[in-house]
Amino acid sequence: MRNRKRTGWHRIINGVNISALLVVIFIGAPLYWLIISSFKTPVAMGDYPPQFFPNPLSTANYDQAFVQYDFGIYFRNSLIVTLVATALVLIVGTLAGYALGRLPMRGKFTLMVTLLVISVFPEIAVIAPLYTLEKDLGWLNSYEALIIPYTAFNLPFAIWILRNYMLGIPKEMEETGRIDGAGPLRTVWSIVLPMALPGVFTAGIFCFTACWTEFLMALTFESVNNYRTIPVGIAEFGSVYSVPYGTIFAGSVVAVIPIGILVFIFRKFVISGLTSGAVKG
Amino acid sequence: MTTISTTEPAPVAKPLVGRPDVNRKRLARLGWVFSSPALIIVAAVTIFPIVYSVVMSFSNVYVSGSGISLNGFTTSNYHLVFTNSTWHYALGFTVVYTFITVIVELVLGTCIALVLERLTRGRGWMMALLLLPWSMITVINAELWLYIYNATYGASEYIIHAIGLPIPAGGFLGTNIPAIGSLMVADIWKTTPFVAIIVLAGLVMLPGDLYEAAEVDGSSGWSTFWRITLPLLRPTIALAMLFRVLQAFGLFDLPYVMTGGGPGTATTSLAILGYDALFKNLSFGPGTAVATTTALLVLIGCLLSLRVFRVQVGKEGM
Repeated sequence: MRNRKRTGWHRIINGVNISALLVVIFIGAPLYWLIISSFKTPVAMGDYPPQFFPNPLSTANYDQAFVQYDFGIYFRNSLIVTLVATALVLIVGTLAGYALGRLPMRGKFTLMVTLLVISVFPEIAVIAPLYTLEKDLGWLNSYEALIIPYTAFNLPFAIWILRNYMLGIPKEMEETGRIDGAGPLRTVWSIVLPMALPGVFTAGIFCFTACWTEFLMALTFESVNNYRTIPVGIAEFGSVYSVPYGTIFAGSVVAVIPIGILVFIFRKFVISGLTSGAVKG
Repeated sequence: MTTISTTEPAPVAKPLVGRPDVNRKRLARLGWVFSSPALIIVAAVTIFPIVYSVVMSFSNVYVSGSGISLNGFTTSNYHLVFTNSTWHYALGFTVVYTFITVIVELVLGTCIALVLERLTRGRGWMMALLLLPWSMITVINAELWLYIYNATYGASEYIIHAIGLPIPAGGFLGTNIPAIGSLMVADIWKTTPFVAIIVLAGLVMLPGDLYEAAEVDGSSGWSTFWRITLPLLRPTIALAMLFRVLQAFGLFDLPYVMTGGGPGTATTSLAILGYDALFKNLSFGPGTAVATTTALLVLIGCLLSLRVFRVQVGKEGM
């Protein structure tokens, strides 16, 4: 039943392939609409019936988004915040994951459960005190206003993932390093890290995606254009200008593509990250 | 890696094993040194604010130009919230919204996973396609669906019309029920692929010999699915459900951009209500009370769903 041999036209036209085609249409149609609409002329954006196959194609929306409006700035800000936060999460998280996975600390279980509980807290629960704290520190409208919270909120998941990978490394490996006279940091860097690399990729891609897409904190902490990230830039843009879809979609396509490529390259690690919970508990 | 594994250190390692106490203490101290940067950042940015938020919600909060000040203990914030009809509505809306979207996503996602599992070619490309909505900025998803739902030139208007179905009076976002439904569709489109990926990964790991046995027994496709596949998939589906319930309960980005919580308060989720109270009305006391109760409900929801699915959080290796 499961792997019945199919012959003739049944090989191409069968229930599985037709269902798969439906799935492609269900997921692909809105994506097609986003991409193709960004290449419509600004006037054609408002055509009814809509142009399902736009003619002529135009890059006017892209010119508007990146030359006339500030999408270039939003990009720069998103990149800076996301990259720095991800780097911090990976550095600090690898050390913590190593400690919690391999070193004989007391209260490890309590710490791990605390991290798990923290990671389920909705952002709205901490936004008010964080706002007043950042206001007192004079951090509102700066990069650190987002980098530090993003680092903190992505650390629990990263530590869990990294710890799980660290658990799988044979003990003898580290001892080799210790006997060779390598210091603890050196042991982590040259022996543990290379073996935990899949975990680092997984934690990295999740952190990157979370920072790139985060909205509530970016909305609350950044109120000037010079520090706004892509989600806030797009949301505010939509509420200020009328019929802004062409410009928004042009910016959106450029925002979707880099992360789409990244996720495609690292898809193995994304999937392992999504399912590691299922394996581990 | 290969260079390291050639030097097996079994005999040399003995001296270290000989004095485990000293060694253990040293390693434990190292553990705290290594993990303290992470723990300090997490504590400062999450635990401290959570505690402070709870304190704020039980205080008389005064907002002035120089900042906010807390004056004395009170339960009036909670009293205000619990007797507020908008909060009642937001709570009901968030629960119902979470319930419906998560059920639909689980069913649809499982169906998609079952289809992809039988696909002999192009599964990698399908996975890539599934990951795109997952990695998409929710605000972009919201703007895209706003364009689709637009009352004068939206594609959905045209398609629904062409099929011959009635278009709701007042458009897709103009009245309560259609607005809620439209929001759900946009949400389901973005998050179903996430469920499908998790379930597919679980499906692939199921033991094949069980299916051979079922086939020998003459079990039909349906009963194999209900009696073997679904029970074995339970932990996987539970995990997907947990992730989704957590996210859906914090629903914010989508209504903020698409409806602003309206029409009226029709799509005001708990997070939208909390945000409005905090940053539009600057009432930090009631705002933090909304936020705290939301967080508490999320925790309870988490524990309940783990209970329902009888999933154990693994303790192994600790």
